Amino acid sequence: MTVSDFQRVLTVSVKEIKDNLRDRQTVFYALLFGPLLMPLLIAGSLIGSMKQLTINFDQVTELPVINHASAPNLVQFLRSHNIDVVDAPEDYRTQLRDGDIQLVLEIKENYAGNLRRALPAPLTLYLNESDRDSSRAARRINALLSRYGQTLTQLRMQVRGLDPTVFSSVAITETDISAEGASGQILASLLPFLYIISMVMGGFYLAIDTTAGERERLSLEPLLSLPIQRWQLLLGKYLATLLFVGMSLVLTALAIFLLFRFFPSETLDSLLRFDGLAIGHALLLASPLAFFITGLLITVATLTRSTKEAQTWLGLLMVIPMAPFFILQFVSIKSAAVIMAIPMLSQYKLLEKVARNDPIDNLHVVLSVGGTLMGALLLLLVAMRLYQQDRMLR
Amino acid sequence: MITAERLGKSFKARQSAQSVKAIDAVTFHAADGQVTGLLGPNGAGKSTTLRILATLMKPDTGRAVIDGFDAMADPLAVRRSIGFMPHEAGIYPRLTARENIQYYANLCAVPKATAKLRITELIDMLDMGAFIDRQATGFSQGQKTKVALARALVHQPQTLMLDEPTNGLDVIATRGLRDIIRKLAAQGHCVLFSSHIMQEVAALCDHIAIIAHGTIVMADTVDGIRQQTGSQDLEDAFVVATGGVV
Repeated sequence: MTVSDFQRVLTVSVKEIKDNLRDRQTVFYALLFGPLLMPLLIAGSLIGSMKQLTINFDQVTELPVINHASAPNLVQFLRSHNIDVVDAPEDYRTQLRDGDIQLVLEIKENYAGNLRRALPAPLTLYLNESDRDSSRAARRINALLSRYGQTLTQLRMQVRGLDPTVFSSVAITETDISAEGASGQILASLLPFLYIISMVMGGFYLAIDTTAGERERLSLEPLLSLPIQRWQLLLGKYLATLLFVGMSLVLTALAIFLLFRFFPSETLDSLLRFDGLAIGHALLLASPLAFFITGLLITVATLTRSTKEAQTWLGLLMVIPMAPFFILQFVSIKSAAVIMAIPMLSQYKLLEKVARNDPIDNLHVVLSVGGTLMGALLLLLVAMRLYQQDRMLR
Repeated sequence: MITAERLGKSFKARQSAQSVKAIDAVTFHAADGQVTGLLGPNGAGKSTTLRILATLMKPDTGRAVIDGFDAMADPLAVRRSIGFMPHEAGIYPRLTARENIQYYANLCAVPKATAKLRITELIDMLDMGAFIDRQATGFSQGQKTKVALARALVHQPQTLMLDEPTNGLDVIATRGLRDIIRKLAAQGHCVLFSSHIMQEVAALCDHIAIIAHGTIVMADTVDGIRQQTGSQDLEDAFVVATGGVV
């Protein structure tokens, strides 16, 4: 390729970029929706729901208690477990229903008396089941209260000369290994998922506009009569789309980085690595995909005659980058060498490993990069071949 | 200068496996300094012929030579020498008129200073001053045609191929376009002009090639055609030349 050949390719690229930057739809999807809004929506809601499900026993919270003066020991116990007891408001029922307060504990009048006589001491916990925060707070208080109750029971038995363990016929230990493991897996594959989807989004409209759009508005015919080779024309369009795809990738990395910077999640940190280094590493591993995704978008869009047709086909094609995400949720695929040469799937596996801080095999990286770039080249050659055909003008 | 020799082209029909002959043995000549009209009804093969001459398609049979370059052997040399305007303007709506023209100048590797000068000339010649720096969305058909013509002329091609350029133009714009085409021919350019409108061809062309059913049925000067067909009226002559079945 000579200098003037390259200049022509560049001329096409620059024109397509300038042209599409004036299209609000393209700019919105490529630079705003894919890389910024989507990670916020998907990762944000996932982290949010994880935070809602997990109870943080270290967090200091206030608990409105009715008649707390008659249970100083209980108040002391709660305080030592990061619960500050406060006076309950008069209209606590309304406030509970409205969600202004999450929980109210009532210490009944006969609490102290019953305690002294070694009878069950009555406590009432008011909560709002329809409010998720309320039930979560209730779970925490319930756990604490039953611990307090157990201690009292043991003391009562010991006072009467009984071994408390006699009354514990079974000892149940609950160890939840699934919940954290499952959400960790989803979040680990979220990283490649977000990268890939935003790259597809980023190039989507540009690929369509530069190929099918050019045919639809009938500007291809005069363009092909100019002293420029058709492959140069296609390469120019490819590079313009690649720039948008690449920008989407980088912006997504930035968005994910900022997301975890501003909304740190301790539960997540114990499972996955989402620091700048991990995100940067993932970005590098995902970057060959930019070439492949651009090739895929351009080739499919070239096959179609109108933007509408292209949107339909590329819309269906969106399933492909999503497929590994869903497949990997159900089937565990071993990181065999063959798998690592498959574009998209290999990036899923590699990026998951980055997120989980697992060691990465260099051979796998080489296979992933090589396989993906080969695929990209193949797609580009197919598109160039398509451009040589008469059917481009029909 | 254009020489078409026995050009033939078939297309595969979309629904069936059979192929349809678009043109067959199209032979004619268009000289420099003249306006040559390719006259024929819709579907006669005018656009296919022009597309082959502009090297957008390869013919199945025959050959075409434009300004001394073989369209099959050296398409890039042909493209450097021609300005082609298809019957749809096909300009970019989000670019301004000037950017549309500049884009073509860049692709034709016209040096920057030359392009600037040339665009100024074209603005003057095609009276585009009022809209040259406006985005092309919402341009009238006449404005679009002017931009498309300017694009085709920006690299100063020797040969100009225009596919039904007056399509959708009003009377004033049509007259303006005719004047420009005459001027270009007077400057020594070869202008090939396709149309299905008799009056237009008669008013403008020095030489006419009548095409019907994919083949040239008669090619001569306006007077020559009148003589050959024995009818004074060009419309009658056209009917006689095409065998009355158009």
